[in-house]
Amino acid sequence: MLKCTINGKEVQVKAGATIIEAYMEAKENIAHYCWHPGLSIAGVCRMCMVEIEGNPRLQIACNTKVAEGMKINNTSAKVKESVEWTLGFHLINHPLDCPICDQAGECGLQEYYMSYGKYNPGMAEQKVKKNKVVDLGSKIVLDSERCILCDRCVRFTSEVSKTNEFGIFNRGDHAEIGTVDGMPVENNYALNVVDICPVGALTSKDFRFKQRVWYLKEFETVCNGCSTGCNIKVHFNENGLYRVKPVHNEAVNGYWMCDQGRDLYKFANKEFRQIKATKNENGHVVTLSAGAAAKEVGAMLNKSSGLALVLTGQYTSEEYNSILSYAKNLSAEIYYWKNNPESWDEFDGILYRGDHNPNTKGLELELSSAGIKAKDLKDLYSAIESGKVKTVVVAAPEVQKNYENLEEVFNKLNKADQLIWLTSGRNDLFEKANYVIPMKSFTEKKGTFVNHKGIEQKISKGVTIVSESLSLSEIVELFKGNDLVGFNIPTYERPQLLGGV
Amino acid sequence: MFQLSADGKKKVQEYLKRYETKRSAIIPALYIAQQENGGWVSPDVVKHLSEVMELPMTHINEVLTFYTMFNKKPVGRHHIQICTNVSCSMAGGHDLADYLCERLGVVDGEMTKDGRFTISRAECLGSCDTAPVIQINIDDYIENVDKAKLDQLVNQLK
Repeated sequence: MLKCTINGKEVQVKAGATIIEAYMEAKENIAHYCWHPGLSIAGVCRMCMVEIEGNPRLQIACNTKVAEGMKINNTSAKVKESVEWTLGFHLINHPLDCPICDQAGECGLQEYYMSYGKYNPGMAEQKVKKNKVVDLGSKIVLDSERCILCDRCVRFTSEVSKTNEFGIFNRGDHAEIGTVDGMPVENNYALNVVDICPVGALTSKDFRFKQRVWYLKEFETVCNGCSTGCNIKVHFNENGLYRVKPVHNEAVNGYWMCDQGRDLYKFANKEFRQIKATKNENGHVVTLSAGAAAKEVGAMLNKSSGLALVLTGQYTSEEYNSILSYAKNLSAEIYYWKNNPESWDEFDGILYRGDHNPNTKGLELELSSAGIKAKDLKDLYSAIESGKVKTVVVAAPEVQKNYENLEEVFNKLNKADQLIWLTSGRNDLFEKANYVIPMKSFTEKKGTFVNHKGIEQKISKGVTIVSESLSLSEIVELFKGNDLVGFNIPTYERPQLLGGV
Repeated sequence: MFQLSADGKKKVQEYLKRYETKRSAIIPALYIAQQENGGWVSPDVVKHLSEVMELPMTHINEVLTFYTMFNKKPVGRHHIQICTNVSCSMAGGHDLADYLCERLGVVDGEMTKDGRFTISRAECLGSCDTAPVIQINIDDYIENVDKAKLDQLVNQLK
């Protein structure tokens, strides 16, 4: 460990650490555009100038290593003047179109202009015109004029996604980022370049012009797109969810997430949701409140025999815990609905896994701790045909698009006398079930997902989108005939199993 | 579809071995390819080189667009570059360029309709003592140029 002083604060850093890392350690502000902790060092933006005691010249913090006893500051007039000049150069050809720029409000140029700039630009020259509104495929729009050539996107596509789409073409003040012949950037990690772009050069087609960022709030949770369980923050306001960005977690996803996962917030929004419970009485569909439907179903389940419960890996461990103990009391058979289990072991080498369930491990843990051996869906089909199973309760997948055989399974299960379909997502198909009850999406409930490595991660309730929707734990209470007033989700303790799963 | 000749391919392979990183061989490889492709580098050339050198197209395009000595547009059989840097300019380089453009009915960087010439102004060609100087294609230098010499050249070159 090395000791150094950052703006008067003493910090310890690992040998070989750079000054900018020491700044992060000391939680001191330092201006930077090109440096990103998840990428290699470029040293091109020259914004992170620091003064090192005993060194007559300013140094860039991102590419200078800390030495024992170094006294570093970036608060002196000399540093401030230098950063101000550097920023001035960055802005020479910048169009200053903030009012129509999607990045406004979270833009590095705006931020540092407020702390270092606030001068009248002395540039009387014409600005260089570059390509604007360049369509880079289905995900990204490029505005070359706004770019400050930090080359983060170039390093991301060469180091992380290894797809090498972005490059810096031409020279001098004509230099601009782009792809060869405007080739679209369609790799599954493409939208990370939008996140790391410090200015408005790369913007997301999905989010573009949808909302000003200062009208958005955020909360952190875990992605439910696959068994990796990337840490994410969801940006939302009173009209719904708008976008998802990754949150750094070295043990799980590093700094990134995939574009598949970024898309899933849509399914939590109202237009894709089951809003009310429905009841199908001989082909006549009646709408009723979720609570009333759950109580009706509960009363029916208490009386019926030949019960089956179908589970998917899309719910939290707490929910599995409650519903499994309820099912045990009613001696219901448990069936496990696996989507594409043959590709569960697939992995793209970065983050995206073939198992598109956030909590497969959690479900398996709960099943084995309850001593239940879940049966395959095929057994359920034959049990329904033979009349052994009369009533089927299905905790249906939240992300329907990851369950390609959804329609087929639904139709087969609907042959049972009673089908109770618990779902957060809407689908016209479901109305044929005897009961459909709206469930909470992953953004509306507290709980635990256990990822493929067995890492337990808490998801948090950030929003309420469908106010009537229920979690499995809540629905169990209603099934039992209890009220939800004062009901708290039981605190979760991970079952200790020898050897694990 | 552009393909390097067997000989060209061999040369590119040799350059790939010569340097520590493959990217260092991009400039010589582009020169070889440019010559084989009639004096310019088309998108096809970039694609072919990326396959031969096993490098992403982006890396090759970055080098290609950085250097003005690679032509991104088709050029005539005789690419006449007139030096207009300080010495040549003082010795009348710009006048010569204007004269030649007018005579051939083209503007700077344009190719004549018959595909014989492309005229462009170049930065210092490193022969200031014999200014003004012009360079034709890659290797021909013509020194102490005047209008008469240019006329002679235009008549001579087919």
